[in-house]
Formats: sequence, C-alpha cells, structure tokens
Amino acid sequence: MIHYIVRRLLMLPLVVLGVTFLLFFLTQRLSPEMRASLYVKDPRQMGSLEEVIRQYGLRDNVFKQYGRWLGNVVKGDLGYSPSANMPVSQAIKEYLPATIQLAFVTILFVVFFGVWFGCGSAIHKDEWKDIVARLISVGGFSLPIFVLGLLLLMIFYGQLGWFAPGGYSVYTDMIIHGGAFKTYTGFLLIDSLLNGNLRVFWDVLNHLVLPAVTLCIGSFALMVRVMRSSMLEELNKDYVRTARAKGLSKWQVVYKHAGKNAIIPVITLASIQFIRLLGGTVIVETIFDYPGIGRFGVIAAQQLDIAGILGFSLMVAVLFVLGNLLSDILYTAVDPRIRLE
Amino acid sequence: MTQPDEPILEVRNLKIAFSTEDGLLPVLHGLSYTLPKGRVLGVVGESGSGKTVHALSILRLLPPTARITEGEIRYRGRNLATLGRAELRKIRGNKISMIFQDPAASLNPVLAIGEQLTETLLAHRKMSKSAAREKAVKLLEKVGIADAEKRLHEYPFQFSGGMCQRVMIAMALALEPDVLVADEPTTALDVTVQAQILKLIKQLQQQSGMSAVFITHNLAVVAGIADDVLVLYAGLCMEYAPASQLFERPLHPYTQGLLNSLAPVHRKVEVLPVITGHPPVPGALPAGCPFAPRCPFVFEKCRRECPPLFEENGRRTRCWLREGK
Repeated sequence: MIHYIVRRLLMLPLVVLGVTFLLFFLTQRLSPEMRASLYVKDPRQMGSLEEVIRQYGLRDNVFKQYGRWLGNVVKGDLGYSPSANMPVSQAIKEYLPATIQLAFVTILFVVFFGVWFGCGSAIHKDEWKDIVARLISVGGFSLPIFVLGLLLLMIFYGQLGWFAPGGYSVYTDMIIHGGAFKTYTGFLLIDSLLNGNLRVFWDVLNHLVLPAVTLCIGSFALMVRVMRSSMLEELNKDYVRTARAKGLSKWQVVYKHAGKNAIIPVITLASIQFIRLLGGTVIVETIFDYPGIGRFGVIAAQQLDIAGILGFSLMVAVLFVLGNLLSDILYTAVDPRIRLE
Repeated sequence: MTQPDEPILEVRNLKIAFSTEDGLLPVLHGLSYTLPKGRVLGVVGESGSGKTVHALSILRLLPPTARITEGEIRYRGRNLATLGRAELRKIRGNKISMIFQDPAASLNPVLAIGEQLTETLLAHRKMSKSAAREKAVKLLEKVGIADAEKRLHEYPFQFSGGMCQRVMIAMALALEPDVLVADEPTTALDVTVQAQILKLIKQLQQQSGMSAVFITHNLAVVAGIADDVLVLYAGLCMEYAPASQLFERPLHPYTQGLLNSLAPVHRKVEVLPVITGHPPVPGALPAGCPFAPRCPFVFEKCRRECPPLFEENGRRTRCWLREGK
C-alpha cells in the first residue's frame, strides 16, 4: 500500500511537468513584444518594451525560459499576476479556499442525496419512488449549468431575495479583512466559527447555497444513476441471498451487505467529481460572481495573464493527482481485496 | 419435545411458477414429501428440474420473478409459504439454514469472515460481541479450519473454495438448526475437496441429529449422504424411496438411466450409457408423462396421460409400469 502511494506521488512531478510545459509552449506562440507588454502598465512606457524583453529573457529558447520559470516555482515563486494584481501564489492562497469550500459543500450534497435517492431507487425498483428519482436524475442531467444557475439566480435572488449571489457582504468583507479576524484554515466557514462570528458564518453560507445547488444538479443526477445501478447489481449477487438466508433484517442486508459493495464505484465518482469541481467551477463562479479560484483562472485567461494561467494549471494538475490518490486511499478503506494485495 | 418420527419439515403439493411476459411459467408441479427428524433427504435432478427453486422456496429466498403459487411448506406445523416476514426471519439461519452452490460468491467479499459469522449469531441470540467471537472461533475449528483465531480477520478472497464452503457450513450450523438445506454444496469444488466437504456435512449432521435436504444433480453424491432420495424430473417427483432401496432396485426408468450413466468403479467400460434426448423445456411439457419421449419402455398410455405416484412398500414411483403392483 505504501509502495503504491509512493509510486503515485512519484507520478506527480511528471504530470505537473507535462501540463505546464504544454501550456508554456503554447504561450510562446505570442511574440516576445506581446508578452512583455503585459508587464507595462503605462502606455507612455511602451518604448521600454525591449528593455523588459531583455531583462526577462523573453527571446530565449522555450526550454531555457521554461527552466527559468520552473526554477522559480521550486523556490515558491509563481510569478506576478497582473490580472489579480498580486503574486500568483498569493492569489491561489486567497481564492482557492473559497473554491474548496464550495466544492466540498457541493460534493457533500451530491453524495448524501445521490446515495439516498440512488439506494431508494434501487430498492423500490420500478415503483413510483424509483420513477420519480429517475425523472429527477434525467432532468438534472440534461439541464445545463448556466441555464440552471441563471434560473436560480432569477428566482431566489431576483424574485424572492432569499439567497445572495457570490461576493460577500460589505460587513463580511470588512470583518475578514479587519485586524481582529484570525485566519486559521483559510476556509471562511470554519474560520468564522473559530472566531465565534456567526454573522459571517451565515453570510458565507448564504452565498454558498445557490452556486452549490447549481453545481450539484449534474453530479447528483450522475450519482443517482451510478448508485442505483451499482446497488441493483449487488442486490442480485449470491452473498445477498446468503445474508437473507441468515435471517438478517432488511436494513442489514441492504445497507451493510449490499451497500458496502455498492458504494465502491460511488467513491470513484465522488472523487472525480470533487476534483472536477476544484478546477471546473469556472462557469458557476462567473455566474454568481463567487470569489473562487475558477473566476481567477477565467480572468487570467481573458487578460492573457501568462503567469496566472500557468499558476492556475499547475495548481489544477497537482490537485488532480492528489485527488486521485485520495480516491485510491478511500478505496482501500472499503475494499479489503485492494488493501491486502 | 419432538417425537422421533414427527416430521420436522413437510412439503405439501408445492407449486412454483416464474412470471414471464407470456404469463406464469410453472417449474414445480406439486411436490410433496416429509422430512423426519435426523434424516437426510437427497433431491436429485438435472438442471431445469426445479430442484434449486424448490430449495430456495423453503426459506422463501426465491428471486422476485418466481413465486409459490400453491401448496404448503410446514415447519413444526407452521406454513413457511405464508408466514409473516418477521416470523420468517426468526427461522432463517436459526431453525433452518442454508448453504449454496458457489461458496466463494456466497460470502460477502468486503466483510471479514469473523464479522459474517458473528452477525449470524447476534441476529438471533442475545450475546456480547466477544462471546460471539469466541463462539465463531469454536465454529471454525469445528469445521476444520486451522488457526481460526487469526482467520477470523481474513476475507473470503483469502480462502480457497473448499475453505469458503467450510465457513458457510460453520455459519449455517452456528445456531444448531433443525434443518440444513444444502443446494449443490459441492458442485463448484474439486473432486477431492468435494469428498472432504461431504464427509464434514455428514459427520456434523450425525453429531447434531439435525435433518437435511441435500440437493444435487449427482446421484453418486447422494449415495453417501442421504437416507431417502427424491428424483425430480421436469418439476415432478419421479421416484421417492429410501436410498438403499433406490440404489439397489431403481423402479423408474429415469432413475435406472441415471444410475446406468454413472461410471462404474470396479470395471472398465468403453462407452457410458446415456439417456438420449433432452429434458422438456418448462412450459412445453408433453401431454403425458414428461419422461415419455426419452423412455426406453414407453407405451401408448404414457404419451396420453401423466401417471400419478404409485405407492408400494413405502416407495413412490411415477410410472405406469408400476400400476397395480
């Protein structure tokens, strides 16, 4: 097992190198002048472009430039992001926790309701409960995120005013950037509780609800289907018959025996979805103006913020490998065949 | 207390059918037998004869598409076919338990052996978890698993097929049931392991004095273990007799055919005799005796009318040849 984790971790640099080099290579399609102009704020200084190019070695060959960037990354310097107006590493530190928070709440929803509906659907196969769950699942699956997001925003913010869109309220902004608010984890939901400030907690939660619900729908629909088919498959197996023959209760047969086997594909799906959410909440964060890393990535891409784009992709690649590792470790927790082999 | 000859299990006119798109498809057409205490009934038949369906129906473990359409399964006077779920659960694994054909698939792959054993005990008895564990160790030792203490923590994939079946047996006998239903328990195993498992079942059955229904397609397996034998063909009982008599003098042509097709141990034969043809497909039974198309002694009446079971000296045979004997 440890052997396996080490092997997975050894893959990490390879994936990161591959992804970043590809992107780096693509950015080289821009002329050195264009790249240099990103660092010149004042049009009157355009004459100094040549100086910038020389200073940062923008005319060197790709490998040399990439090597230089990589060297800086190893030292912890991801460069300066003009679009966020701060160093890339600081931008990640500032925006990533909000996205992780969003992804986490979303995946909790997805797993909880997905497993619940999926199991119910399987147990009551072809009864009305199953049909309702399948309808919701098909509906959710075919509803594009941007449509749902805008609809929710229209109804719950525009009409009813129950939930706010992204961005925190002025009060929250003032508190969290004020001196008295201590940052423990970077996750505002947790930090606000640790600071004992319930108002900030509710405010953050309020801003989370709509984006989380929007993100949920597609993953939820998929989760219901996977859980349902996996449960149906397990319920047909011989060991379930044995469990019934032993005189166990229906609850034990379904959840302890079949459930523990049926949950295995759900774990894979949940971790894939979680990773996808971390790097892919772009649309939702844009619709709801949610201060997360996806929005940072979009803005960086729109403004040709090369350092920002590279930093963002580097982060996504690392999260991707770590997320897969996490899912493998979760696997071993439920499946002894993997744990012991 | 049970009187020595009081039947533990009594099956009366049991009919089972599968529901299909074209309506009900009967697979068992009225099976009856009684199982006295301490006796082993061997049920023999080829695939499609209804033997497994019958075995599953005893504890109402039939797949959702199959159901008991008529008849009774009486256990100590209570009809299992109509018993409430809660009551039935108290009997399952406790008073009547079951072992299956594919032992490796019959154990849950992600639960430790110890867990699967103790949960059976805890489902029916009030005892502490540690007491259940101790009992589980004893049970594993009883079925011949060495190092039982350690193996409790292991998982089915770490056991061979034979070992899995031993675990299944330990599980089935954990609560000293009155009846063991064994559905082809040795079919999926190597021949040498088969013999060991059969010996184990026989030995444990004799020790505890429980009754057993032993289902198999193999007459040779039945010979060593059963007191009585019931031969099933196309969902009908063809012959029912004490084992010794059946093997010595089979009355039904089908049973004779089955016995003839066993490879003799003491002499060499070039070609094993076989029963030609195929058993009828369920739902497409011939009008008369279902065995008539394959029977070497068939005559006109056989094709017209299905014979009833003729009784003689405690034996029952479904064949016109036995009429009036």
